[in-house]
Order: sequence, then structure tokens, then C-alpha cells
Amino acid sequence: MKKYPDLYLALFSAVVLCLAGRWAFLGTRSPFPPPDSIREVRRSAVGDAIALSLGLRRLAADVWFIRLMQYYGAPSPESAEAGAGPQEYGAGAYPEFLPMARHILALDPYFTNAALFSAGSLAFNMNRPEEAVAFLEDAMSFAPREWKYATLLSAIGYSKAKDPRKVAETITPLLNEPDCPVMLRQLGAFLNKKAGDYAAAYRIYGDILATSKDPFYVDNARREMEKLAPLLRAPL
Amino acid sequence: MSHLLTALKVAGHSFAENYRSRFFALFLVFAGVLIYSSLLAGVMAVDEEARVITDFGLALMELITLAYALMASASAITREMETKTIYLVLSRPVSRPAYLAGRAAALYAVLASMLAVMALIHLSLLWVRGLAPAPMYLKAVAFIWCKLAVITSAALFISLFSTSAVSTVVIAAILWTLGHFTAEARFLASRSTGAAAVLLSTASLVIPDLQLFNARDLASSVPAPAGPAFLAAYLLLWLVVPYLFSLLLFRKKEF
Repeated sequence: MKKYPDLYLALFSAVVLCLAGRWAFLGTRSPFPPPDSIREVRRSAVGDAIALSLGLRRLAADVWFIRLMQYYGAPSPESAEAGAGPQEYGAGAYPEFLPMARHILALDPYFTNAALFSAGSLAFNMNRPEEAVAFLEDAMSFAPREWKYATLLSAIGYSKAKDPRKVAETITPLLNEPDCPVMLRQLGAFLNKKAGDYAAAYRIYGDILATSKDPFYVDNARREMEKLAPLLRAPL
Repeated sequence: MSHLLTALKVAGHSFAENYRSRFFALFLVFAGVLIYSSLLAGVMAVDEEARVITDFGLALMELITLAYALMASASAITREMETKTIYLVLSRPVSRPAYLAGRAAALYAVLASMLAVMALIHLSLLWVRGLAPAPMYLKAVAFIWCKLAVITSAALFISLFSTSAVSTVVIAAILWTLGHFTAEARFLASRSTGAAAVLLSTASLVIPDLQLFNARDLASSVPAPAGPAFLAAYLLLWLVVPYLFSLLLFRKKEF
């Protein structure tokens, strides 16, 4: 024992390290979904493997969110094929939208804004509320205390009941959040306008104008405020 | 006490040596890529600009420092042995444990200083663009250092028995990759039987669980996979055990 103190110390500490490694392996629980929940979208397998192996899930989810916005920002595939003229913003089939949104959630299930954007677009722009509800329920399984999901779920429920005023009321707390996706703000403004609450609509469009960097929403907010101003007799 | 003072002196000299190797040139790479990416993110990520720039900056910071850490730790001792500089050092009253501890401590300090400067550049960019850093920012940077310290410690040990600096870098890079796959390995182990399950379980004993320190990915809203006391002990073990084994190998070398 006295002859090889370094050796015994090294072996003892190695045993402790192995025990700690064993505990870490069995005793901790990954906050992320298992790897088989990540489905391949648009040949994503290699990119996903690199992201996982370097511990870059969050960054990969960011990249896929940008791709989703680019996909959704372009004309829908069926209207592009048919050579249709301009259609209402966000309307269309967008068959890859849901798989891409699910992919983002599988990479980073805590990316709340991406989930709100995706569910809101599915429910209110693409008229696919059932898919939006299922998607939100998946998102809630990782963040059950996320009140924003619950709020959006209620709003989708009122939307199915064709009650725009109630939808607008329900999503108001979401709109007051500083990081609320601009798509939901736009929806809130539109629903308030539809329900006849021009003052609320004007205020929300003003928020979009002041805070958003998305030129589409900013231009739209400016146009809508110009239309609403005479109704409110408010200065621009 | 004298061993500690000697180790600190060795660490000071090694830090200066790293400084002379112009590692700070990497800061220019970092700043350049970061500014370019922030311009792109501003256009593409629109309202998620803050998140994208934060995530991209932290990831870039980690990868650039990792590249330096692997290269520096792979050659920290072997280069001195090849150039015979180590004879001069060990012919003085410098014990081998103090020499090894000093070299390792210098690397940890260099990594910390690199991360600190890059974090300052990153925060400045966020400030210039009028964006607030995420609440988890400082924790993420500190935990990046923890991961890098673990892999540096392992790479120093590997460098003492591997045949070249390249093989050290490759083995350490594989270890880094496997260290991020522990959750997936656990999932596979739960679904495997026989030799595969045994292999995965055994690998978990000797592969550092780097996901425990991946605060960058976990963000602030996610519950931490382990408590701070366990993380501190785990980090300490991953610094001490490779050091002790490095010492065993280093004692056997004849200068």
C-alpha cells in the first residue's frame, strides 16, 4: 500500500468517478424527448445527428424555426403550382408545416414562441384547429404549467364556436406579453376589429408597429391604423 | 505548500506561453462570424432575433474554445517533451505533480479568459442591437467552461499515451461527442438486452456526461437534471481522476 500510493489513490478516485457516472446515467432524467421522437423532415437526419452530438439542440431548433417561417412566408405549394393570384396571408395547405413544427418541438420542447406561432397559424390562418389542438397538447406535455398554451387552447375552442369576441378576450393576456409572437398580436387586432372594438384593435396594431421587425406585419399594421383612425377620430 | 507555489509558477509561465501563441486571434474570428450572423439573424429570425443571436453566439463560443482547448491540451506536455524543454524545468526543484497541475491549471485559466472575452464581445453586440441577454446567460457561459475543463483534463491524460497530437484531438473529440449522447445512450440501454445493454452501461462509467453541464441547451425554464452539489462533485472528479492517472503515466517517463 505504501509502495504505490499514487496508484491506489488513482484507482480509488476512479471507482468513485465510475459510481458518480453510474448515478448520473441512471439517476438523472433528460428533460428532452427520446431520440425516436425526432422524425426526419426535409432530409434533416444528418443535421439533427450533428446537433445532438454537439449538444446544440436549441440552435438546431432556431434554424428549423427560421426554415418554417421561410416556408410559411412563401406562397403555399398548391397555389404556386396552380398559378393562383394573391391569396389571404397565411392561408393555404402548407403540407409540411405541421411536420416541421413538430420537428422544432422534438428538438427543443421548451421553445414556447415557436409552438404558439405554429399552433396559432394552424388554427386561425390555415383553418386546421384539430391539428393545432393536438400539437398544443404535445407541447403541454413538456411544459404543463405554461399558461400561454392553455390560453391559446381556449381561444381555439372559441374560434371553433365562431365567437370572435370571446377569442379576442381570451388571447388578450397573451398579447400583453413582451415576447408574444407577432402573428398572435395580428390575430388579436383582427379579431377585435371584427368584433367592433376598434380602440383595442388600434392599440394592438400600434404595438406591432412599435415592436415588430417583420416588414409584412409592420406594413399591415400601418395600413390598418390608417383605416381605423377615422373611425376612432384618433390622430395618426 | 511549496508544491502549490511551484504549480502556480508553472501555471503562470504556461499561461504566458499560451498568450504568446496568439490565441486571442480567435477572438477576431469569433467577433467577425458573430457580427455577420447577427446581421443575417436580424433579417431571417425577425422577432426571434435575440434568441437566435444568443444561441448562435454561445454555440460559437463553445466550439471555438473547444478547438483551442483540444489543440492546446494535446500539445501542452508532449511538445515540451519533444523539444526537450521539459528537461530544463524538471532539473530545477519542480516536482512532477506540481508541473502537471500547473500545466492543467494554466489551460483552465486560458479557457476561462477566452470565454470571458468572447462573452464580453457577445454581450456588447446584444447591447448595440438593443437586445437583452437571456436570464441563463452567465450560467450557460460558466457551464461551458465546466464542459471544457472536463474535456481538457481528459485530453491531457490522453496526450500522455497517444502517439500524436492529432490522435489525442480525435479521441477527445469522440469523447466530447459521446458525452453529449448520454441521454440517447440511456434510451438505447433501456431498449437493449444482452451485450449491447452491458456495453452501453459500461460506457456510461467512463464517458463524461456533458449534458449535465449543457445549460445552454437547457435554458432557464427547464428543470436541471442534477443538483449543484452533485455537479460540483462530478466536475471535481473529472478534473482529479484524469490528473491522477496522468501523474501515474508521467512518473513512468524518463527525462
